[in-house]
Amino acid sequence: MTTENPEGESSEPSSDSVRFKTDKESSSSHDDSDPIRDQFDSIKKMRRRRAVGWLALITFIAFIGLQSASATGLLNPDARIGTFLESLGQFFPVTLHFGIIPFLNLGQYADFIVQMNLLYDPEIGGLIFQWPPSPGDIYAFFFQELGMFQIFGEAGVTLGMGFLGTLLGFPFALIFGTLGSERVTPFPFNFIFRGTMSFIRAIPAIIWTLIFIPFFGLGPTSAAIAIAFDTIGNLGRLFVDELEEIEDGPIEAMQTTGANKPQVVFFGMLSQVKTSFIAWTLYIFEINVRIGVTVGVVGAGGLGYIVVAQQNLLRFTNMMATLIAIFILIISVELFSQRLRSRLRSDEERMGIWELITGFPERMAESALK
Amino acid sequence: MTQIELDGITKTYGETVALEDVSFEVPRGEFVVILGVSGSGKSTLLRILSGLTEPSAGEAFIEGTKVIEPRPEVAMIFQQHNIIGDLSAYSNALAGGVDRSGFFTSVFQLQDQEEKLRALDALDTVGLLEEAKQKARSMSGGQQQRVGIARALVQQPKVLLADEPVASLDPGSAQDVMRYLRQASEDRNLTTFSSLHQVNTARKFGERFIGLRDGKKVFDGYRDELTIDDVDDIYGDIDTEGMFVTDSGETTNGTGTTTTTTS
Repeated sequence: MTTENPEGESSEPSSDSVRFKTDKESSSSHDDSDPIRDQFDSIKKMRRRRAVGWLALITFIAFIGLQSASATGLLNPDARIGTFLESLGQFFPVTLHFGIIPFLNLGQYADFIVQMNLLYDPEIGGLIFQWPPSPGDIYAFFFQELGMFQIFGEAGVTLGMGFLGTLLGFPFALIFGTLGSERVTPFPFNFIFRGTMSFIRAIPAIIWTLIFIPFFGLGPTSAAIAIAFDTIGNLGRLFVDELEEIEDGPIEAMQTTGANKPQVVFFGMLSQVKTSFIAWTLYIFEINVRIGVTVGVVGAGGLGYIVVAQQNLLRFTNMMATLIAIFILIISVELFSQRLRSRLRSDEERMGIWELITGFPERMAESALK
Repeated sequence: MTQIELDGITKTYGETVALEDVSFEVPRGEFVVILGVSGSGKSTLLRILSGLTEPSAGEAFIEGTKVIEPRPEVAMIFQQHNIIGDLSAYSNALAGGVDRSGFFTSVFQLQDQEEKLRALDALDTVGLLEEAKQKARSMSGGQQQRVGIARALVQQPKVLLADEPVASLDPGSAQDVMRYLRQASEDRNLTTFSSLHQVNTARKFGERFIGLRDGKKVFDGYRDELTIDDVDDIYGDIDTEGMFVTDSGETTNGTGTTTTTTS
């Protein structure tokens, strides 16, 4: 694609200049055709030089690519295609219908998802109908019967890790991100905050989980705290970058009102990035739910833990069922977050909840017809 | 009484001279229009008065105090409005008075009722009381600029600076904004500096004129002293034909009476 580009563009100026020349010839003499020729030749030469440059760059990247392939052992892999296909067969259990037609046995997935409460825990919420709750059971009522996360079973645990991590990490990310901006803290000192965030980012969330296990034990608590730490590093960094983009105008306007420094930061700077900060936070929430799956693998619970447990038992069908549950969780979170973000960004009049639900078929039909 | 005094203000950006030895005195309550083409130093002059820009040489005094940094007595209105798009017109107006309250008070809008009524009063002055709850971003350019004026008024300034307040507005909104600006500065007896580049608008609303050309002061006088020759002088090689409307054509707007009230 890169080699095609310069050629494609080089044809444009030539045809332009020809068109220009014919226009000119009808009105004036030939003596201004020479500078056009010169310019054309100079452009051609420039294009050729650029093409050589691109070629050199591509060769260089190819060389680096080969080097990295060698470093990762890809040039001489220890591949066992037979074993791989065999395990794939277990990932996708096939039943023969009428002895001939192969069908993917979705029932096996569904059985495991229901059996392990991967997506829904039927025990939650059963007592809600026993209104009013007994006073002694307030805690149980709020956190078990109204367990908004528990009702989603194992998926709820993973979702909870991602959500709590984002919630706990956000205020610190906001503080570190704002203070890490060069516009708020003068140059050498802002690196105290940027450096802290770099350090947090340098350690992946899964390692943070391992670090917190001695403190909170092996479980979702460690995972949530680890994700909160990860959020400070990543979300804070996005905040710093976002603050680099803001305009000077509103900052100066707040300065002329005689506002003090924190007020200038809040009204002049943060107010400009409010919407994008919320959008970035939602994006990080999406990522945090994915990280929730990853840290589950080391034993912190949730869907990730089920995956690795079934893998250890070599029950690949169950593992695949869990992967489907993960897929459903992640897709739901992303859909929710994307809709929310596009709603935040649009300046349109906000729709009420009732309108959101009742107007859905109509809007869906409108989108489909577009 | 002299309220604003500029003494030999010079500002250079590297090799470029933005202002060269500009001096003048302005008594309290005057409506001063600064004229000049783009790059003549109008914005620099206003930024120095507001304390946003430091002069390379010379001194500026407001109320006898040297201008070093921005302060609440001097409010500024910008060409690009520079209001907070995510907040309502009311919250924007309220933001003008943040120097009188602490951080948390201003962030959570816990100011006392007097302060909040002041913000609404300022919005009323610029004709936006009805639209107080509207988000600033969804307003028209002219309305946004009026929110900017309201914010400046809530600041309770003694001096109002306006840097090309109507340059990005259509003629109708520009007239509105200038009328409200003029009205507000009269009602509150503010000394107002406004840079403008349309001579017609300037003559209609201005009381005193300071002309800048290539950073030098080339004219300083009141509206009856501003002749077509002076305009030619300020605008240099630019064809000024049609830019100048004589007084006889605009006696109805009553600007002639204001000179007597301000002295």
